[in-house]
Amino acid sequence: MRMPSLPMPLPFKVTVTQVQYLLQETVKGLQRGSWMNWAAVSTVTVLLFLLGLSLQTNWQINSFLTQAGSQLEISVYLKPSVSGATLQQQIQQFPDVASVSLVPRDRAWRELLTELGTTDLQGATDALGQNPLVDELKIQAKQADQVPKIAQMLTNFTEVDHVSYLNEVMQNLGQLNRGIGKMGWAVIGLLTLTALAVINTTIRLIVVARHQEIEVMQLVGATTTWIYLPFLLQGILFGLIGGGVALTFMATARHFMQQLLQQQPVFLQVLAKSLQLSPTQLWVLPLTILGFGSFIGLTGSFLAVRRFILR
Amino acid sequence: MTNRILFPETNIVVPSSRPPVKESDLQGSAASYAIHLRDVSKSYRETGFSLRNLNFVVKQGDFLFITGPSGAGKSTLMKLVYGAERPDRGEVRVGGQNVANLSGNRLSMLRRRLGVVFQDYKLIARWTIAENVAFVLRSQGVPPDEIQRRLTPTLKLVGLQNKADCFPSQLSGGEQQRASIARAIVGSPRLLLADEPTGNLDQDNALQVLSILKKLNSLGITVVVTTHDLHLIKMGQAPVAKLQNGQLKLIPPADAST
Repeated sequence: MRMPSLPMPLPFKVTVTQVQYLLQETVKGLQRGSWMNWAAVSTVTVLLFLLGLSLQTNWQINSFLTQAGSQLEISVYLKPSVSGATLQQQIQQFPDVASVSLVPRDRAWRELLTELGTTDLQGATDALGQNPLVDELKIQAKQADQVPKIAQMLTNFTEVDHVSYLNEVMQNLGQLNRGIGKMGWAVIGLLTLTALAVINTTIRLIVVARHQEIEVMQLVGATTTWIYLPFLLQGILFGLIGGGVALTFMATARHFMQQLLQQQPVFLQVLAKSLQLSPTQLWVLPLTILGFGSFIGLTGSFLAVRRFILR
Repeated sequence: MTNRILFPETNIVVPSSRPPVKESDLQGSAASYAIHLRDVSKSYRETGFSLRNLNFVVKQGDFLFITGPSGAGKSTLMKLVYGAERPDRGEVRVGGQNVANLSGNRLSMLRRRLGVVFQDYKLIARWTIAENVAFVLRSQGVPPDEIQRRLTPTLKLVGLQNKADCFPSQLSGGEQQRASIARAIVGSPRLLLADEPTGNLDQDNALQVLSILKKLNSLGITVVVTTHDLHLIKMGQAPVAKLQNGQLKLIPPADAST
């Protein structure tokens, strides 16, 4: 009599068993990690929260700049002999220009005198010999960051005497955005290294805690993939859990801020609109956070078991 | 100088100054060898221990005791066979495959064809006996119903069918070793290596373990047992090879104590 050999199971059944086994082992590993899991997940959460916040702030400032930029005007003062109507058509053709409106010198003069409290228009004109003002064109750009470029182009016209626009606010906001971006990336870089180190250590500790099982597994013919894949899945799970928690925090913070701004004066309520994410951003943000979280988790755990896998 | 086969029935080839077995000698018959060591040398600089030019063949279905003083290299010899150590020189063939050339998944596949029993059992303390035994099949991706189908007869074979739900700490040393044997054979290996399986057991339990190993051998499994238990060797009534000073020599069982 001979010991019967194992019959060949059906491929589908094997796949189901394998997936089931890998998931069970992953959960088992998490149970073994105990408090180290908490350390890994919380570090990843902070990292992904900051990453998300940085992305979101960047998008929101850009959105604000765009909204504000569309309301900013470039004022073009023409030379006295030039009629604004002729130039208006030309400028309207610029691809970055949203609209051009003409303020004729007569209307401007009338408005100025009205503002000054003078009602005798003719008298004032006669006193100065003529209307001292020139035709003015008010130009709105499609994007805020195009305002300086359009202004520069306008100064090249011989008919133009002077160009002015409110560029200081835009520049400051732009600088702020870039500053936040640089600082954000520096902090994210440091936190990424920290998260990698924590995940690496956590997975290593779990490997050490399970060394007896691993030794037996190796002796009974379990493949390297079979032994170490659960550890990689565990790393990915750290990233996904951290990402999920970070996204929840961000959504809560966004909701809270919006509620707060809606109770503020009207001019501040404009900001609430900037805090809203576009439909594209609403799925790009979670995808980025969860994708980066998984990547960090996988890298951290791979670093922990690479010497076993690659030998 | 030709090789001298002292006991033809055991297939052990005593080492000589020249390679005793040529590749051509093995062609056509390699598959019938469960283990074939050819000119195997292994040394550890730190301890000064060494195995020198071992030539050793075990046929399918054989039962063999390997004895020798502590530190003679019995465990190292076993490790060379199941691929936990690599020889400095020579070939270690198991079922025709050179273990020294195998690594990664290919080594894993080879290990699925052999079972190993250790002196310290290597059972996972927080798992039940059933879980410990089933672990072999689980870690090879065998479906649960198939595991269950294999588990009961295996436990019955080693007399532990009523201890399936016990933890190792609730069992005696002999029972733990029998559980370890169950784990080694549940995957239906063709070769069973038992490294000092009775080292921690009293005489009664040792004889029980021996009885199981003999039963497995009668089912067609090749069994190699390292031991320095003279009583076990005497009761085993099987060929004995002695490992001493890095050399393996076949001896009559009665001379095992010398």
